[in-house]
Amino acid sequence: MTATDLFIALPIILLAVGALVTLLVGAITRTTNIGIVIALAATLGAAFWLMQSPPTLPAPTLGLSAGGLSRLFGVFFCLLAAGVLCLSVAYNRERGISGEEYPSVLLFTTFGMLALASATNLLTLFLGLEAMSFGFYILVAIDLQRGVSGETGLKYLLPGALSTAFLAFGIALLYTVSGTLSLHELMQFTLTSGTPDPIALAGWGCLLAGLAFKLSLAPAHLWTPDVYQGAPAPVVAFLSGGSKAATILFLLLLLPQAVDVSALRIPLCALSLFSMMIGNCAALRQNHVRRLMAYSSIAQMGYVVLALLSGKSGGYQAAAFYAIAYGTISLAAFGAITVIERNGGGETLDDYRGVGSRQPFAAGVLALSLFALAGIPPTAGFTGKFLIFSAAIRSGEITLAVTGILLTAVSVYYYLRVVVALYFNHADNTEDTQPRSIPTAPEYAVLIAAATTILILGLWPGKLIELLSRA
Amino acid sequence: METYLFYILAVVTVIGTILAITEKHPVHAIVHLVTSFFSLAAIFFLLAAPLIAMFEVIIYAGAVMVLFMFVIMMLDPGRTDQAGRPGLRQWLLPAILGVIILVSIGVLAAGYVTAPHTSSAITVREFAVTLFRKYGVAIEIISMQLLFAVVGALYLGRRRAP
Repeated sequence: MTATDLFIALPIILLAVGALVTLLVGAITRTTNIGIVIALAATLGAAFWLMQSPPTLPAPTLGLSAGGLSRLFGVFFCLLAAGVLCLSVAYNRERGISGEEYPSVLLFTTFGMLALASATNLLTLFLGLEAMSFGFYILVAIDLQRGVSGETGLKYLLPGALSTAFLAFGIALLYTVSGTLSLHELMQFTLTSGTPDPIALAGWGCLLAGLAFKLSLAPAHLWTPDVYQGAPAPVVAFLSGGSKAATILFLLLLLPQAVDVSALRIPLCALSLFSMMIGNCAALRQNHVRRLMAYSSIAQMGYVVLALLSGKSGGYQAAAFYAIAYGTISLAAFGAITVIERNGGGETLDDYRGVGSRQPFAAGVLALSLFALAGIPPTAGFTGKFLIFSAAIRSGEITLAVTGILLTAVSVYYYLRVVVALYFNHADNTEDTQPRSIPTAPEYAVLIAAATTILILGLWPGKLIELLSRA
Repeated sequence: METYLFYILAVVTVIGTILAITEKHPVHAIVHLVTSFFSLAAIFFLLAAPLIAMFEVIIYAGAVMVLFMFVIMMLDPGRTDQAGRPGLRQWLLPAILGVIILVSIGVLAAGYVTAPHTSSAITVREFAVTLFRKYGVAIEIISMQLLFAVVGALYLGRRRAP
């Protein structure tokens, strides 16, 4: 291992060592806060290290790379993890989630995402994705005090194991065709411009089936509402923002290197169409805020697949932009939900009535992120959707683009239902009976940072788009 | 010759795995799975990867299956009434599969010595160099995964609040 190797691998090593140290410290002392502090230091350290440009892009002997896209997403994953850690402190204290396992597993999950981001071969890419999913299997069930958490964990674990089998089998088939695991060569062999090898197509089918689960695309989406409802709110923020962005990155590392992706057009079209339709239509009938957000995330991922479909005309940049924007919006939305639910507040739309006057700050951030999800300017959601639909129209996917735009208009209804519940429907007599929960300082910091990022990405998106087109 | 052997072994593997899934009694399922692992090992040997074949037998058919067996014994399903000796019908299929594998391995071993012109086998050295040099990062990621599998199992296995 040379110094250059170390330079590129350092963020990953930092997170791995951080996770192990957190575990060890937990064996010595039972104060949870030390674990959180170590985890914060590790994530922020990794984020700052990733911000400087490396001496060479691929590590000489390790098979890791530090390309622009990898580092950008690496910083995003680390900052997201740091934000989730800050949100978890007060929430976990009130829910009785203690112990060193929580920060340690969270670091391990981030480690998986970072390994995925810097992979140059399909094996590391797959293992990174699996390490991340592994962390989430533990995190969604981490609340031992609630009976529902075990059920949630199982509902995520069993389809997850099935999707892993699909991914592994798909990778094996692709390896059969190409004889290499290196991303560039593999893509050149498996998605050629002529008629592709049937075995390669079978491999891609399996790969897409596995990834559809991770992205909660329509035929493989059934786990999403249950997991969003049952898992602790900060974990949902991380799951919704981080794991979706990592899976999009998985596709973004593969697809742009292919000669011709037209062989994947029909399955991607179907996934995108079904996700947009089912997500938006099912969200209309939800009264439970977290389930509503879950169906909305299914719909949002449908838009991202539409962007991937029209990759050559700027769709890849649009997908990367939307992944980051959606991650930030998720952090803001579920951060606000964390604050609102922290004092045992309700979870249905009826319980959200009048929250706007009781908890003005959290309700404001939630409303902003809902506007962003609906795609109302000047937020990141508007810019992201604009990039996606313009790329889709440029590449000739008119039908899908029009369907998507119409469904976005439909989605405004259910997002605004939550806003209306927050501000306009006052609770009848419960104005002063419910306890006021004031956000703690870390919660304030994370929510303000996320809300500012949403607005900055909406008002001045040029910088990020420029970074993405160079990457 | 190798092609025929491969197809025979492949059929045995698939049948063994299907039986392992459909079998209701966990211990029987394990026996079927061991059958499938053994024929898979023979397939690896056929593909000039004797080291992988060895690992398949030692680690999967040996260690992992023994672990499964221990877990099942500890979580005793409590069907002691059915613990008698299984009838001939239950023995028949595993016995046939086992015979097929044994014959294939025998033929393969005999053929391997007399016909070394098949593609050269991967040595332990080559295997180790590829595994720990080219895919060293992957090994580290897997080791972290295994560690956190233990951490997760220990944490989630704690007694839950009623």
